[in-house]
Amino acid sequence: MKAPGLRHFVAALAVLLGVWAGARMYLDHVVPKNAGVAVPAGVASAPDPGDGVLADAPLPRPVVPVELPDFALNDLSNKPISVSVWRGRSLVINFWATWCAPCRHEVPLLKALATEWAGRGLTVVGIAVDYKDKVQQFADQFKIDYPLLIGEQDALDVAAKFGMPSPAFPFTVFTDRRGRVVALFVGELHKPQVDFILSVVENLNRDKEQLPEARRRIAAGLEALAENQAG
Amino acid sequence: MPRIGLTAPLCLTLAALLSLAGPTFAKPWWMRNIASNDADFLPPDAAFRVGARMDGNLLKTRWVIADGYYIYRSKIEVRAESPDLMVYPPQLPQGVIKTDPYLGTQEIYTQQVEALIPYSRIDAGAHPIQIKVTYQGCAEAGLCYPPITKVLFPAAAASVAAGSPAPSPRWEFIAIIAGSLAFLFAGLVLRKGRKLDVPA
Repeated sequence: MKAPGLRHFVAALAVLLGVWAGARMYLDHVVPKNAGVAVPAGVASAPDPGDGVLADAPLPRPVVPVELPDFALNDLSNKPISVSVWRGRSLVINFWATWCAPCRHEVPLLKALATEWAGRGLTVVGIAVDYKDKVQQFADQFKIDYPLLIGEQDALDVAAKFGMPSPAFPFTVFTDRRGRVVALFVGELHKPQVDFILSVVENLNRDKEQLPEARRRIAAGLEALAENQAG
Repeated sequence: MPRIGLTAPLCLTLAALLSLAGPTFAKPWWMRNIASNDADFLPPDAAFRVGARMDGNLLKTRWVIADGYYIYRSKIEVRAESPDLMVYPPQLPQGVIKTDPYLGTQEIYTQQVEALIPYSRIDAGAHPIQIKVTYQGCAEAGLCYPPITKVLFPAAAASVAAGSPAPSPRWEFIAIIAGSLAFLFAGLVLRKGRKLDVPA
């Protein structure tokens, strides 16, 4: 390594490597790994008890079943109801809880949906993962007129059958009249999304398209809806 | 003297910066063409990070909250878990008022919040301090997590939530060694061939 220019270049590379190593160490151990977390300046330098605590590996991917799983839960009168009573109908199965604000926001939409689609072979079913008295109070207050099933651990077991063993709420499952799971939507539903998914379910019911194609179309359609909302 | 362009250092710098960026965000579900959008939301332990430490007569419990997520003030609870430990109601800062047409007015925390918890122990330090914290929060995008309960072991320096893995020392070790070697190597390269300039 006789040329001084080359020596300087190699030295610069080595320094860059050192800077990179230091920065990498800093980011790995000082900055929270979740890129979504913003810590206000001036506070992060204090010892942060949260550092190093987070198990931030993504959750294992849930396996959404292809077919509607069989299950039964009690209704508000403590009568066990099997999902098979709605065999032959398309279903919108909404998992919710009374303490969950977005779940409450969905109720008017779900009520309207139940009324609008009742004569078209579709049933809205609410599955409340909650205490019965709270659900009863809420159902009375908001005059929920679609079928409600209730459970605690047993309702969580049902959620697990849909690939959601540790669920957050709300989440909604859409099936066609053959009992095939068309989509599982996590988070608060809005009318444009519901209308679009149900239009695809209708096509499936009329044999106008196949399930894989329907799922692709839902994927593309919701992407377009999201872009419109963002725009 | 060989001609050294700027391309190589630039590429190296770019590669280093890219490697610092970490994993890219997961695409939303409709872009991955699967039947569930669950990955649009963070797992609860990523949305709400919690840890605790002792500071004099206080146990300080801090939540670091991801952007777009929040915790309800009224849902934060702290209880003693270890024997002979008494904890008093947590002192919490004022939160942000959130008005929901269905749930009414609630006080929430975003970004981060620290609870100061006075405590006393009558075991003269015979047992390690353990507290059990419960909290509940949501994503602004329309998802709520069930109440989360964790047992924390507040320590003077740092603490680790029960069941959570300790941070991996792999990168720290590599970074220290690589950084040291890099600067040593740079020094050796620059020193080579340079004569000591001794005044006559």
